[in-house]
Amino acid sequence: MIEPDRAHRQPWLQLRKPVSRKQGFLSAIFIWALFFAVWEGVSLAGLVNDLLVPAPHAIVATLIDMLINRDFVSDILISVWRVVLSFGIACAIAVPLGIAMGAFPAIEAVANPFVSAWRYLPAPSFIPILLMWFGTGETPKLVLLIIGVIFFLITLIMDHTKQVRSELVETGLTLGGNRWTIVRTIILPAAMPNVLIAMRQMLAVTWTYLVIAEIVASTTGIGAMMMRARRFLHTDEIMAGIIVIGALGLTFDILFRKLHRWLYPYLYSRES
Amino acid sequence: MAHPSATTAEAGPKLRIDRVSKRFPLPDDKEIEAIRDVSFGVEENEICVILGPSGCGKSTVLRMVAGLETPTAGVLSLDDHEITGTDRERGMVFQAYTSFDWLSVRGNVEYGMRINGVPVAERRARAQKYIDLVQLSKFSEVYPSQLSGGMKQRVAIARTLANDPALLLMDEPFGALDAETRWHMQELLVDIAENANTTVVMVTHDIEEAIYLADKIVFLSSHPGRVHEIIVPDFKKGQRFTNKEEVIAMDGYGALERQIMRMMREQGASEVL
Repeated sequence: MIEPDRAHRQPWLQLRKPVSRKQGFLSAIFIWALFFAVWEGVSLAGLVNDLLVPAPHAIVATLIDMLINRDFVSDILISVWRVVLSFGIACAIAVPLGIAMGAFPAIEAVANPFVSAWRYLPAPSFIPILLMWFGTGETPKLVLLIIGVIFFLITLIMDHTKQVRSELVETGLTLGGNRWTIVRTIILPAAMPNVLIAMRQMLAVTWTYLVIAEIVASTTGIGAMMMRARRFLHTDEIMAGIIVIGALGLTFDILFRKLHRWLYPYLYSRES
Repeated sequence: MAHPSATTAEAGPKLRIDRVSKRFPLPDDKEIEAIRDVSFGVEENEICVILGPSGCGKSTVLRMVAGLETPTAGVLSLDDHEITGTDRERGMVFQAYTSFDWLSVRGNVEYGMRINGVPVAERRARAQKYIDLVQLSKFSEVYPSQLSGGMKQRVAIARTLANDPALLLMDEPFGALDAETRWHMQELLVDIAENANTTVVMVTHDIEEAIYLADKIVFLSSHPGRVHEIIVPDFKKGQRFTNKEEVIAMDGYGALERQIMRMMREQGASEVL
């Protein structure tokens, strides 16, 4: 006899059927718990050299000690400040320029050959010359972070602006809008949700360049701390640094998602 | 409801399209001729439907009236002023949904008045009037993403009319809607045109829609588009009906539909097959 419950049981592997929120959350917890459990197990069993691969619990202990007793907080703050400031400057230039390029083909025709070419020049290759030009202060680091993302950001924003449907623009024109009005009241609000997503994605890239800048040419910040730790074979401190960078990246990503939800609530409401 | 154009015929048409041609350049330095020597007029308060097989350039004609395209030859004029670009006088409703997702229904309907500097109080009142007219009173604070396709088109119509244009231009406005919603919208349009004293120029390829709505049908032939025939559906005796089946049941409806279908087939056959 078939139990009524059994008849409704779905196999775990459903072809292209979305999982529930709960299942998604539990799955994410599961895979990370598995990762750390295996790591911890391997460390405790003495299968790896704990000088090179410290156990997770040792890393957490080191991290807490660094935060409380060793002024790691000021390294974190200076790194965050570099990312926020440089990314803010990059956005302040890229958003107006990208929107203008996407809205006016004549501006795109001038700016795009220049902007798109820069994307193929790897930002870290500028480090030697930036150090010669700007010395060892904050400027070369900020400039590296800016040139690392700004050209991609401009191109992405231009593309999102171009994707604003022409019917929306034409509707605005037949309602009596002039070019400036249309850019301000139709193209900008229509493109902004995707522009914010582009910003979120490029912020993650900024963190990559931050670490490069701090490892190569800095005495402060999370990256510099990790290079110091390497000299004394403090693997636990290096890994603590990696964890903090990951946690900060994730935090900023979540903040951007929240901001998106808060600024553009109409994208999250569907036919009820 | 009386046919409005009969009384104003003496004064000359409100919209005049005079020997208009349009050629588009192709990438290989050649040109394609979309429209050749098209002439017709639209009277005040008239519903004029431009009908024809695909490729007859009917949308091109409408876009030139809106000022979104410029004619290669000929003149378009509204109230004896030549049309040279887009203007709030000629508001357009498109087949594709054009709701501004970031504004509520009310925000959408107020949009045109806002960019044209209509004072807030008047803006509010006029928006409410047209929201009521398109029967969206209960949805005025809702975002368009929560609306059905027919509701979105009603928002677009209300937004255009609230801006007080001299002409309401519609490019297959109900083409993306399901059949039932479409005829509801057609009946609503008749109702609105009567209540708001609107002059409408509409493009469609739907014969039934054209006969039901039109005071006058401009039938275009294709490649290039020329005026093949101007048809006045006489059987309606200058009346309008907010009930579609009344029109379909009338003597003369079937004959006209057959006549236009035959014209469609003859004028468009070479293209389709």
